[in-house]
Amino acid sequence: MKSEDWPWQHSFPPFFTVQPNLHTRSLQVSAWTSLVLKYHRICSQYVLDIQEAKSTLFTNPSIERTLSEEGINLVMSALVSSKNAEPIDKYRTRFYIYWHTLEEWAAILSSWATDSGHSGSVCTLYELINTPNQEFTGMHQEVLIKVIKVLEARNEAELILMDDNNGVKFF
Amino acid sequence: MGNLFGKKKVSRVTEHDKAVLQVKQQRDKLKQYQIKIEQKLENERLLAKKLLTSGQRERAKLLLKKKRYQENLLEKTDGQLENLEKMIQDLEFAQVEVKVVAGLKIGNEALKSLNEVLNIDEIERIMDETKEGIEKQKEINDLLNGKLTDEDEEDIEKEYNELLKLEEEEISKQLPEVPAIEPELPATDSVEKEKYKEKVNEKPKRIALEAA
Repeated sequence: MKSEDWPWQHSFPPFFTVQPNLHTRSLQVSAWTSLVLKYHRICSQYVLDIQEAKSTLFTNPSIERTLSEEGINLVMSALVSSKNAEPIDKYRTRFYIYWHTLEEWAAILSSWATDSGHSGSVCTLYELINTPNQEFTGMHQEVLIKVIKVLEARNEAELILMDDNNGVKFF
Repeated sequence: MGNLFGKKKVSRVTEHDKAVLQVKQQRDKLKQYQIKIEQKLENERLLAKKLLTSGQRERAKLLLKKKRYQENLLEKTDGQLENLEKMIQDLEFAQVEVKVVAGLKIGNEALKSLNEVLNIDEIERIMDETKEGIEKQKEINDLLNGKLTDEDEEDIEKEYNELLKLEEEEISKQLPEVPAIEPELPATDSVEKEKYKEKVNEKPKRIALEAA
C-alpha cells in the first residue's frame, strides 16, 4: 500500500493500544476493520495470516507501534461478526478476508455472468479467476467456490467438481 | 443419513456441459504450461547473459540451443491451443444448432396439429355458407335502398329549407351592428390622449430626483 492509503489513525500511537473507554474502543475497532478490508482490497489478498500481519498490516515501524494480541482478537472478532472474515482453521491463525461479503460477491459474479452472456454455459474456475478487468480478477479459488455455493443456493448456478475438472454452470 | 431420505438434487448439468468443461480445462492447462515455459525462457536468457560476461561461451551456446528447443515447443502449444479454442466454439455452436432444430420441430408439430383442425371439406363448406350470406345481404340492401329513396329526398329538402332560413336570420342580425362601432371611436381617442398627458407629467419628477 502507498503511504497515502494509510488512514490518519495509523500514525496515531494510541490507535495500537486497546482503549479502555468503550465508546472510543468501538470507534477504534471500527477504524481497524475498515483498514483491514481496505488493505486486502488494494493488495488483492484474500487470506490473512495473523503472524505475518503482525509485521505488516498491524504495525507501523515509523512510530514503533504494533497492535496487541488482544487488539487483533477484537478486530478479527468484529470482522467475523460482520461476515467480512472467516477462520480457515480451528486455531484461528489464518482467515479468509471478504472485503465484499460472500453475498455481495455472489451478486457481482451473477451480474457479470448475465452481462457477458455466460448464462446457460459452463466456465472453468481458472477461466473466471483470470477474467481481466473485473473486481473478482485474481480471486482465491477457495473463496470463489464459496461464492458459487451462494449462487447455487439461489439456483443461479451449479458447481461442477469432478476429478480433474472444476467449473460452474450459470443459469 | 439425511441424503437417504431427502430428495437428491436434480442436476441441470448435461453430459454436453461436462464435455465442454473438459475441453476448457485442457485449454487452461495449456495456457498455464505456456506461462511456465515463458518464465523458464526468461530465466535462461538472463543466465546466458551471465555466462557470456564470465567468459563461458560454450556453456552459453548450449543454453541458447536448449532455449531454442523450448521456443519451438511453445509454438506447438500455440497451435494446440488454437485447436482447443476452435473445438470449444464448435461444441457451443452445436448446442445452439440443437436448440434451433428442437425449436423448429416443436413449431412443425404445432403447425401440423393446427392443419389437422382445418379440414379442407369443412373450409369449402364454410366458404359456401359465407358466399350465400353475402348474396342475401346484397339483396336486402337493394330492397331497402329502393324503398327509402323517396323519404330521404323529402328529408333533404326540409334540411335545405331550414339552412336557408338560418342564413337569412344571420344576415339580418349583422346589419344593426354597424352603427354601434362609430360612437366608440371618439371615446378611444380621448382615452389615448389622457395617457399621453400622464406620461408628460412623469418627466419633471424624474428630473427632480436626479437633481437631488
